[in-house]
Amino acid sequence: MTSQRTVTRISRILALIPYVLDRETVDVDEIMERFGYTREQLTKDLDTIFVCGLPGYGPGDLMEAYMDEDEVVIDAADFFAKAPRLTPAEALGLLAAGMTVIGSGEASPALERAVRKLSRVVMPDADTTLAVDVIDESKHVGTLREAAAGRRVVRIVYRSVAKEETTERDIEPWSVFASLGRWYVIGHCRLVDGQRTFRVDRIKELEVRAETFERPDEVPEPGVGYSPGEGDIACVIDLEPVARWVLEYYPVDVVEESAQRTRIRFHSPDTEVPARLLLRLGRDARLITGPEVAARVTAIGQRLLATYQ
Amino acid sequence: MQNVVERVLNLLIYLLESSVPVTSNDVRNTVHGYADQTDEAFHRMFERDKQVLRRLGVPLKLEALDVWEIDEGYTVDPDEYAIPDPGLSKEERVALSVAARMVRLGGSEAGVGAIIKLGGIERDTGIEPLAADLGQGAETLGELFGAISERRKVELTYRGQHRPVEPYGIAHRRGHWYLVGNTPDGERMYRVDRIENLAVGEEPNGFVKPRGFDIRAAVDAQPWETGLDPEVEATVRFDADVAWWAARSLGVSEPTGELIAPVKVANRDAFIGWLLSFGTSAEVIAPDELRDAIADRVREALAQLS
Repeated sequence: MTSQRTVTRISRILALIPYVLDRETVDVDEIMERFGYTREQLTKDLDTIFVCGLPGYGPGDLMEAYMDEDEVVIDAADFFAKAPRLTPAEALGLLAAGMTVIGSGEASPALERAVRKLSRVVMPDADTTLAVDVIDESKHVGTLREAAAGRRVVRIVYRSVAKEETTERDIEPWSVFASLGRWYVIGHCRLVDGQRTFRVDRIKELEVRAETFERPDEVPEPGVGYSPGEGDIACVIDLEPVARWVLEYYPVDVVEESAQRTRIRFHSPDTEVPARLLLRLGRDARLITGPEVAARVTAIGQRLLATYQ
Repeated sequence: MQNVVERVLNLLIYLLESSVPVTSNDVRNTVHGYADQTDEAFHRMFERDKQVLRRLGVPLKLEALDVWEIDEGYTVDPDEYAIPDPGLSKEERVALSVAARMVRLGGSEAGVGAIIKLGGIERDTGIEPLAADLGQGAETLGELFGAISERRKVELTYRGQHRPVEPYGIAHRRGHWYLVGNTPDGERMYRVDRIENLAVGEEPNGFVKPRGFDIRAAVDAQPWETGLDPEVEATVRFDADVAWWAARSLGVSEPTGELIAPVKVANRDAFIGWLLSFGTSAEVIAPDELRDAIADRVREALAQLS
């Protein structure tokens, strides 16, 4: 099959031509920014356009395309007066992006209008057939996003995922992001004096402070990928086939895989998360190494049994 | 790559400009880049290039050239080829551009391919401190979205079972994409990343979607509320320090102290997983059978340690 790179390149050419044809003069820099071109790539694509055209392929049949100082010129290409229609995947991608932002409660009226107009031409009943919600049950996403944009320190009351404890801490929010259906805020935590990622739905209370902070030049890519640190717990767990979903939800390394079982290595800052996971999996998982985790499973398990017996 | 790009552009121009359907022989003898090939090489090349046209969104059709339907030719209707103009204002285009770059789907920016076709990316105002990842599965999603918009039936394999489905809608919920559609057993929901062997039917308008269908209503339940287990109502007590958080998941108002709430359970496994995520800060008060199921699960886990 022809590579996606080639298809993407042709798609960009078919969008570039009508854009240039529609305008009297078009600036090279503007084209590069608008279509994500480097000068080299743009030169190459214009050269390609220049050698294509109507059968016969003589001087009068080929399209014209070149750079004239700082302008892009394309002519004799009326058959490409419009870009091709969106593929279903493209239409879905753009509608889904718009709906996600609207779902965060953070959309401008312009975006809501844009999504409505776009739906009308690609999927008239999109509002009842497509739903993309990364729901913000806490209603904190908007406040955090504003604080991140304004570089304002935020005081949060946070329920830790890993430990059964609630703490108050000041954080410097860098960015707010959603992954696997949940909202997170990443930033510098003054309580632990380090970079931390917090689940927004676990923030009980939040207060934006007057104090501002310096945002580091290099902010990590948003993502919940967990990088193991010193003092971390690493345990090894065997999963039955029915428990393979764990791979989609937790940042784990697959050590070995067969039809019968999957062996994973699980890193976490403490024993709580793997212990609760093992409890919920019951007979579908087995701890191979990790004595601290085993002790934690026993402790929580005994307390639960005392409650339920 | 260079040859493919030139050949496909030439092929598309030929198809757009031709007023009559063209046969594969016409293409071979006319379009630059196809000559000097063996029969086999030509056919392979032409098949691949047709595939490229479809992936670009070109509405390539095959039509009979005579009443006996012996010869067939290809057409691309220029009106159908052209992207319809949604009539976006400058401000709306900027808003869409920003959204397209904030959201990732299948590992890349979700809407940028579409934005390029709609006239390119509008300059935005700087770093946007908000981003969202909608997970994997872009290819299957695109096919399903196409089937839904054209009302084509699909067939798929799910957990080893072959299912015919009339696709009504798709939704992203709690980190996963779901397909909702009608099956011989009634309306069903499927997780898209677990769908295998998806085949989209040939016929557009192959079914009628019920008038009142709304994807939101179909998927809005929590994972423990939808399942094949007999439905029971559990009563759960949450300690004060987690009550506010449980209340958000259950959609009830946040209490000041502890919370005792009814919870509908139709998927026991999901319910037990959710409950154990509270550690010992939540307790099922009733019914006894659910209490026993949790105790059994804990015993199983403890037995695995020995």
